[in-house]
Amino acid sequence: MLIQKTYKISISGQVQGVGFRPYVYSLATEFLLTGTVSNNEEGVIIFVSGLKKVIFNFYDKLIQSPPPVSIINDSRINQIEYRFFDEFKIMPSKKSSRLNLPLTPDFAICDNCKNDMHNPKNRRFDYPFTTCVNCGPRWAITETFPFERNHTSIDDFPMCEACVEEYTKPIDRRFHSQTNTCQTCGIKLFLVDNSGYKLEASKHTLFKKVANILSDGNIIAIKNTSGYLLCCNAENEHVVQELRDKKNRPHKPFAVLYPSLDFLKKELQLNEPHVKSLTSTERPITIIPFNNYKGNIAIHKVAPGLSQLGVMLPYSGILQLLANELSFPIVATSGNIHGSPIISKNDKAFEKLKEVADYFLQHNLKVTHPQDDSVVKLSNKFKEKVLFRRSRGYAPNYFNASINSDKKIIALGAHLKSSIAFYPNNYLYISQYLGNLDNYDVYERFTKTTLHFIDLFEQKPNVVLVDKHPTYHSTLYGIELAQQHDAELFKIQHHKAHFASVLGEHNLFTFHEPVLGVIWDGTGYGDDGHIWGGEFFKYQPHKIERVSHFEYFNWLAGDKMSKAPKLSLLSLSNSDMQSVLKDKFSDEELTIYQSLKKNNKLKTSSVGRLFDAVASLLNICDINTYEGEAAILLENYITDYNLDDCKLYCSILDKNLIPTEKLLYNLHLDVKEGHSKQYIITNFLYTLASIIFQMASHQKVKKIACSGGVFQNTTLIDMIKEIGENKYKLYFNRNLAPNDENISFGQIMYYLHCLNS
Amino acid sequence: MDTTALGFNTINLGHGSGGVMTRDLLDKIIFKTFSNPYLNQKHDGSIVHFNNKIAISTDSFVVSPIFFKGGNIGELAVHGTVNDVAMCGAIPKYLSLAFIVEEGLKIEEFITIVNAIKLAADISGVQIITGDTKVVERGKGDKIFINTTGFGEVNPKANISTDNIKVGDKIIVNGFVAQHGMAIMSQREGLEFESTIESDTTNLNFLVNDLIDEFGNKIHLLRDPTRGGLASVLSEISQDTNKGVTIYETKIPLEKQVAAACEILGLDALYVANEGVFIAIVDADIANAVVEMMQKDEKGKNAVCIGEITSGHPNKVVMHNELGGKRIVSPLIGEQLPRIC
Ligand SMILES: [Fe+3]
Ligand SMILES: [Mg+2]
Ligand SMILES: [Zn+2]
Ligand SMILES: [Zn+2]
Repeated sequence: MLIQKTYKISISGQVQGVGFRPYVYSLATEFLLTGTVSNNEEGVIIFVSGLKKVIFNFYDKLIQSPPPVSIINDSRINQIEYRFFDEFKIMPSKKSSRLNLPLTPDFAICDNCKNDMHNPKNRRFDYPFTTCVNCGPRWAITETFPFERNHTSIDDFPMCEACVEEYTKPIDRRFHSQTNTCQTCGIKLFLVDNSGYKLEASKHTLFKKVANILSDGNIIAIKNTSGYLLCCNAENEHVVQELRDKKNRPHKPFAVLYPSLDFLKKELQLNEPHVKSLTSTERPITIIPFNNYKGNIAIHKVAPGLSQLGVMLPYSGILQLLANELSFPIVATSGNIHGSPIISKNDKAFEKLKEVADYFLQHNLKVTHPQDDSVVKLSNKFKEKVLFRRSRGYAPNYFNASINSDKKIIALGAHLKSSIAFYPNNYLYISQYLGNLDNYDVYERFTKTTLHFIDLFEQKPNVVLVDKHPTYHSTLYGIELAQQHDAELFKIQHHKAHFASVLGEHNLFTFHEPVLGVIWDGTGYGDDGHIWGGEFFKYQPHKIERVSHFEYFNWLAGDKMSKAPKLSLLSLSNSDMQSVLKDKFSDEELTIYQSLKKNNKLKTSSVGRLFDAVASLLNICDINTYEGEAAILLENYITDYNLDDCKLYCSILDKNLIPTEKLLYNLHLDVKEGHSKQYIITNFLYTLASIIFQMASHQKVKKIACSGGVFQNTTLIDMIKEIGENKYKLYFNRNLAPNDENISFGQIMYYLHCLNS
Repeated sequence: MDTTALGFNTINLGHGSGGVMTRDLLDKIIFKTFSNPYLNQKHDGSIVHFNNKIAISTDSFVVSPIFFKGGNIGELAVHGTVNDVAMCGAIPKYLSLAFIVEEGLKIEEFITIVNAIKLAADISGVQIITGDTKVVERGKGDKIFINTTGFGEVNPKANISTDNIKVGDKIIVNGFVAQHGMAIMSQREGLEFESTIESDTTNLNFLVNDLIDEFGNKIHLLRDPTRGGLASVLSEISQDTNKGVTIYETKIPLEKQVAAACEILGLDALYVANEGVFIAIVDADIANAVVEMMQKDEKGKNAVCIGEITSGHPNKVVMHNELGGKRIVSPLIGEQLPRIC
């Protein structure tokens, strides 16, 4: 009995802008099925007629091997009343209701497109904006939804006949590719010097020219598909120093773009997870440690004082074509100055960067959502992946959060590493890293991104979540936003939000077993008005309770304390340690700070500051020139360790607090005895790791979740895993950075599970 | 004054009783010092005559320590109110004066304060026309609190109002900022800076009045950024006008030793209190002339234009630094808390 039936298939997830409809089309045609496929606000809808068995085979194949960059969250198949179709057709998208599906992140260029660009016989030979359904920019150019050409800035470039043909030919890789353009109809590149003079170059010589400019020791600002990059020859120490001087960035390491994986492998030792990260479609900057760098880049200028290097591989057509002409790696750092956000507009780039860059490689595609490159590090021993910055490639979706609320919730995150989280429908969206809100340009981008989210989903928030800190600009803006939308406003304590982020990432809210939260970072405004940062919490259903913390010490001199590790040392030094301060402070400063200490009311439990104090005590860093410098330099001293040789600098006190001052004092005794820095730092990290398990056993919990900026220290993570992995369940942030970028997500999780249940 | 002749060394509860001891204190110190036709009537209040619109301002002074480098609470109480009246575009004429004294204050100290008030009032051209003295038990006050209310006649040429501020207006400050707050703080916390910082407390009424006589309604707003500092006053202005305020870090007049002290303490000078400082928001075409005129006056010799009113970033104060960075300056909310991780 061969009875024709009709089924309706609905698929949701990351299914738009990833070639899903063309893929369905070709698969259906292969199975000789008829019907239609279309995008709507909930995902992809397929109507298909044919034999039941064939339809189910088709369905299985579709679900099991979807297009490469798609992510299926949910799929359903239901039989409906029989309908007759002549053929299988892709239907144009119609906007009928509100967006209720993930947005699509940017994808690195695929191998097929790379081949097209490299093939002299291909019509896209040397065309840097070659893309297909499997690759290219998405979120960077999104203006509205669904992801259709006319909802993106690619719409400024009407397709030529040849492109239209690809777009409409079902067997083509560019069938329904919304970013399809070519040399004839597409985006134009142009090269200018910093006086605005345009340099002539044919499309085949342009990148050669750029490579020469770089090799001659110039700085060039390159407009990529996600914003500007500032580039220079990484092997030329003069130009790297020049870039540092001009960007006013004395020590913060630069990322290096290697021309190819083979090239990179010659200079640095990569393991499997490194390669996987470097070649993933997110293509993040990946931090690779080295013992003894033997390559040619000016390593001491690129990554001063470090034994690790952030590297990446070309991810856009522009970077790939440039890489083909390069015989050296280049510094590729976000095109901005003085803490402003990454620049994406040509006139602004010219205005802001002409003092820095000698040349500009620009194009006329508008970047709607500029994004920095994401940054990832893997721990040495356990290969635990830690996100340092979540941006291009990862933003703006967040999957795996089980949320069930009819509230429209927006969370405005923290201050220094700001991000926004929005729950307007059935999905959760988390913006890319937006930067330090003290900077007005960052603030403007932050508010624009918030408003764009609200517009895009056509959903007004009815719950606004902010940090409890009274003067975070995100908090002040959230108060305004809640008033404008007549929404409920909740202020959520910083470290509770950190804890909620890791609980949320691992869906731990659903368990009844208690979880110990180990939340360590630099600063956050505490419930008692002091500056927290070394916190232990216990999660029990619907409740996060602070159970312990590092013993308070004085917070001195406002934000200066975070910039000057030697102030943390001063604050934590007891009377026996005064001699170590003599070289670091003038007499005037010493008397002033000592009298400040006497009457000081603001206290802190910050582990970030404890790291600072240790770095200063070991003469590794007295003043930070970039955020986290002291802690990074400290970790850098440890290439390997053996836990059997480690000792403790302190244990938890009877009263259940961590004796911060005593820890530092004991460490200081080892310094006095002349032990090596490596030995001392290893013991310091070992002490921190051990304290966690002392606390866990004291609190009688088996599950431990860690978050906060301190957990960017991958050696600490390795130690924690090594000590506790067999006896405890350990959780770290996985798809979000452990630093303040996760606060927005944590605020939503805290609200849903601890305030609203 | 010979304090032994008074027959008491400290102020005690009896001096606030309203009885003979109170009368004694008033006669021997207050009336003697401030003697003038209004006060000499010894009525419950004074009757005064005004020809014009009047401006009234009141303020209470609770500073600790009460004696500091560059002044004491007495002259502060005169200058603060005189300046507030002046910022309305008025010429201060009369002052009320009320003390709340904590039992045990040394009479010598009280006399020093009263004399400072007298001197400041004379210099400012105001008369003390009514007053009050109360004494509270030990521990219920902090040595001495002073309240003053000022009355002034509005200069007919003045038209001071937030509504007059328009985009393009220039923001002018008469001199070094943050001095008073740093002087008070360093003394209160016992901070020993290499060079002492003195309060800049002074009366600004004559300079302000000269400016109004000269420029009239082209002076749109006058404010003295006392508590909360420059940042708070500018934030209020941007919020009240729904316009942007742009200032330039390099233009903010800051004395070297004050800047150094702020640096050591991690304080932002924009949030530190001032006393002898005011800002004028003026029409752009008189800005240079205003600065020049101020500079000729002792109290405005370091006057400078620090920024302007903009249409961009409404409700926000944005400070440009030397390198082209732009920082949001928010109003002071509580104390300065660290935000950097
Ligand atoms: Fe944090
Ligand atoms: Mg006042
Ligand atoms: Zn492709
Ligand atoms: Zn074309």
